[in-house]
Amino acid sequence: MPRFNFWTVVMILTWVLLFVLLFIPVGSVLISSVYDQEGNLTFANYLKFLGEPRFHQAFINTLVVGFGGLLGALLLGSIMAFCVSRFVIRGGRFVSLLAILALVSPPFIGAYSWIVLFGAGGVVRGFLRDIGINMPPIYGVGGILIVFSLKFYPYVYLMVSGALSNVNRSLEEAAEGLGLTPWQRTMKISFPMVFPALTAGGLLALIHAIADFGTPRLLGRGYNVLATEAFTLYSAEVGSNMSMATTISVILILVSMVFVMLQRYMSRRNVYHGNMINKPVRIQLKGWRNVLAHFAVYFIGLCGAMPVIISVIYSFRKTSGPVFQDGFALQSYERILFNLGDVVRNSLTFSVAAVVLIVMVGTVVGVLVARRTNLNTALLDGAFMVPYVMPGIVIGIAFIAAFNTGPIVLTGTALIIILSIFIRRLPYTVRTTASSLRQISPSMEEAAISLGYSPFQAFLRITVPLIVPGIIAGGMLSFVTAINELSSSLVLYVGSTMTMPVRIYLLILDGDFGTAAALSTLLLLLSGCAVYIAFRFMGRNEQALL
Amino acid sequence: MSYLTVSNATKQFGQSFMALNGVSVSVARGEFFTLLGPSGCGKTTLLRAIAGFNDLSSGEITLDGSNLRVVPPHQRDIGMVFQDYAVFPHLSVFDNVAFGLKPRKVPASEIKTRVTQALDAVRLGAMAERLPAAMSGGQQQRIGLARAMVINPRLLLMDEPLSNLDAKLRIELREEIRDIQKQVDIATIYVTHDQEEALAISDRICVMNAGRIEQVGTPQEIYGNPQTRFVAEFVGTLNTFTPGEALDAMLGQLGLSVPEAASWSVRPERLGLAASGSSAEGAAVLAGKVTKYTYLGREAHVQVETPVGTLVVQVANPGMSATRNEGEAVSVLVPRDAPMAFGADSARIGG
Repeated sequence: MPRFNFWTVVMILTWVLLFVLLFIPVGSVLISSVYDQEGNLTFANYLKFLGEPRFHQAFINTLVVGFGGLLGALLLGSIMAFCVSRFVIRGGRFVSLLAILALVSPPFIGAYSWIVLFGAGGVVRGFLRDIGINMPPIYGVGGILIVFSLKFYPYVYLMVSGALSNVNRSLEEAAEGLGLTPWQRTMKISFPMVFPALTAGGLLALIHAIADFGTPRLLGRGYNVLATEAFTLYSAEVGSNMSMATTISVILILVSMVFVMLQRYMSRRNVYHGNMINKPVRIQLKGWRNVLAHFAVYFIGLCGAMPVIISVIYSFRKTSGPVFQDGFALQSYERILFNLGDVVRNSLTFSVAAVVLIVMVGTVVGVLVARRTNLNTALLDGAFMVPYVMPGIVIGIAFIAAFNTGPIVLTGTALIIILSIFIRRLPYTVRTTASSLRQISPSMEEAAISLGYSPFQAFLRITVPLIVPGIIAGGMLSFVTAINELSSSLVLYVGSTMTMPVRIYLLILDGDFGTAAALSTLLLLLSGCAVYIAFRFMGRNEQALL
Repeated sequence: MSYLTVSNATKQFGQSFMALNGVSVSVARGEFFTLLGPSGCGKTTLLRAIAGFNDLSSGEITLDGSNLRVVPPHQRDIGMVFQDYAVFPHLSVFDNVAFGLKPRKVPASEIKTRVTQALDAVRLGAMAERLPAAMSGGQQQRIGLARAMVINPRLLLMDEPLSNLDAKLRIELREEIRDIQKQVDIATIYVTHDQEEALAISDRICVMNAGRIEQVGTPQEIYGNPQTRFVAEFVGTLNTFTPGEALDAMLGQLGLSVPEAASWSVRPERLGLAASGSSAEGAAVLAGKVTKYTYLGREAHVQVETPVGTLVVQVANPGMSATRNEGEAVSVLVPRDAPMAFGADSARIGG
């Protein structure tokens, strides 16, 4: 007999929220994909998807960039993780910082910076041509894979370096005692121990790669993936085909779902908690090995952070219109100040509003999920899986499909952008709150109760102060995601609700890289502040960024 | 007149599992009362029911004559010490101990003196301003103890407070707990699965098994005169004789006869060891062969193969000469008052 109390209300409101913001929009996508323009039930869209070579190609391309991104990220990430956690690398913290920079910069900035360097009129390519080396421009699938590898390697790096530094050294010593060579030891002991972390990190890279829209859009030059196809079909001025766009969204959801499930399965298996006593020591390498290890680590780190470095440099270059001149000036920032103030303001208000909502709702629901364990909360916990599976572009299209007509019309408002960020990031806060609550022993509150505090007071005075640093840190990390969000906002924005990532994307399409670089630098500065605050509250925990 | 009474306490989980099955106990003012039993026996369930964290399915709990079950846990005025210390990590040692005095509206000056006193009692006076996070388990549990006592509760509950500490510290802290409890004279219920701890610390022990009480009594009664086979086995160690002609002969020789006895047992330290072929007054002599010798410093365990089964004999203060070799022939002496008889329902019926 459930009592009708505060938590029951929370439970009902949470379900309502999930229905309105998630199940109904996603349901609309599912439904509209099986109706044609006249409103008749049909599977023609799916048949068309199966029948048209263009869609086949997009499907295959999606898998190619996904697995290519996975392999590239695995290669770069594991080399870096191995070197940093096993060898003495000068400036190891700086290298980690480079990885974080790569992680918090929007991917399409990466794409464009690489175009600046290696594109048709690229700086490096031009220089190489002058000294007689002809290299192909970076466009096409190769370019996409390079950018994905460099953008997503931090996922693998952070996961694997965490796992590697937790492998109990006694295990390796035991293997040594049993007569295994160093190579056998690595393959038979260390590798199986970090394998779950490797796969989990790699799949994370894959999931982000198949959901990514900006990079294939800018670099693909005809190399279309499902995300770009959905956007093209949705945004085409003539013959916009909403139901085909939703069909592709459904397929993208399905592909993404498979890998998200796999990823969660692998990260759950990642449970080899070494004891903290016998941690592996870092070896000081000598001679050329030392040089090689340093070169590998810094090369990967600097290449990954290259887009950021390029944007910062280019944001200070002198321009005349969109064309760069020699010398440095603050013109790009002046343009932001005079013309793009509202875009910056939009981004800030939307992100702050979304984060405030996320923190408030996420904390309460997290407490509900962690403390009131029953079938209902288990279902709720499961339902919060759904936003994980949704690529941003799909959420965008789903929101348009649901809130364009009908009882709630939100298209063109700021609210729809805030809500789309809110629902995508809410699960992270729910889960981090729930897991930090589960780590606090229930006897802590019981002690307070036995000392004379009511259960609610005990929660307020004991549990809340203990989880608040984690909540603030989580909020800051949500802010980073919120302010960098492109793919759903790109579908949902109108002139008055344009955000910084959208503006940067449009500026790049217009060829105004100076202003785009300045906006990106600003974006990066905001993200950096948020990450810094988060680390201040919870200690330097790079894994929380995943 | 008992102070705390629990009568017919029953706690059912799910359809069939009975964590408590009609348990009744009474504790006197100032008494140190221990609930002893293996994990899952219901001792913690009973303690948490008294604290109010889990209600009973049925039964009554009264404290000082008033019904406790209707009082919400935060108004019961019962101090509790937890197995995992439950020290608040964001508060200083002083604030941890002062935490329970605030809802009691104790004036600030009095808080200062009472907390200082309590911290001195647990020998943490010098650490009042530190944060507990970096402190040892023993120190954290001392904070827990001071925090529970400083409110002058009507009852003090301790849920395996020493089980996370290392052996030496456990002994040291249990002596302190015992001394402090006698000083402040608060009725205390102490839960443990460690029989030695229970014997050392308690006025009375209640041995529980599978949701029921096996025996309640002083440490001497529990150890020296166990009323069930479970108590005899759980508190101390036990040799059980193999039934047969040899056992009947031995019992006949000792003049022991309990027709309903289903099994006979004896404690290792009640047996004696002598050179092969010795005889003794008032004791049966069993010829045997040593199969194992374990030296433990202040005692030694000699495992001997005899006609009534394999028996372990405990020898106190084994000198260098007491060492027995495997295969050596010895005599085991069974004094007349040593064997204990248990019935088919495992209740003690004689010996």
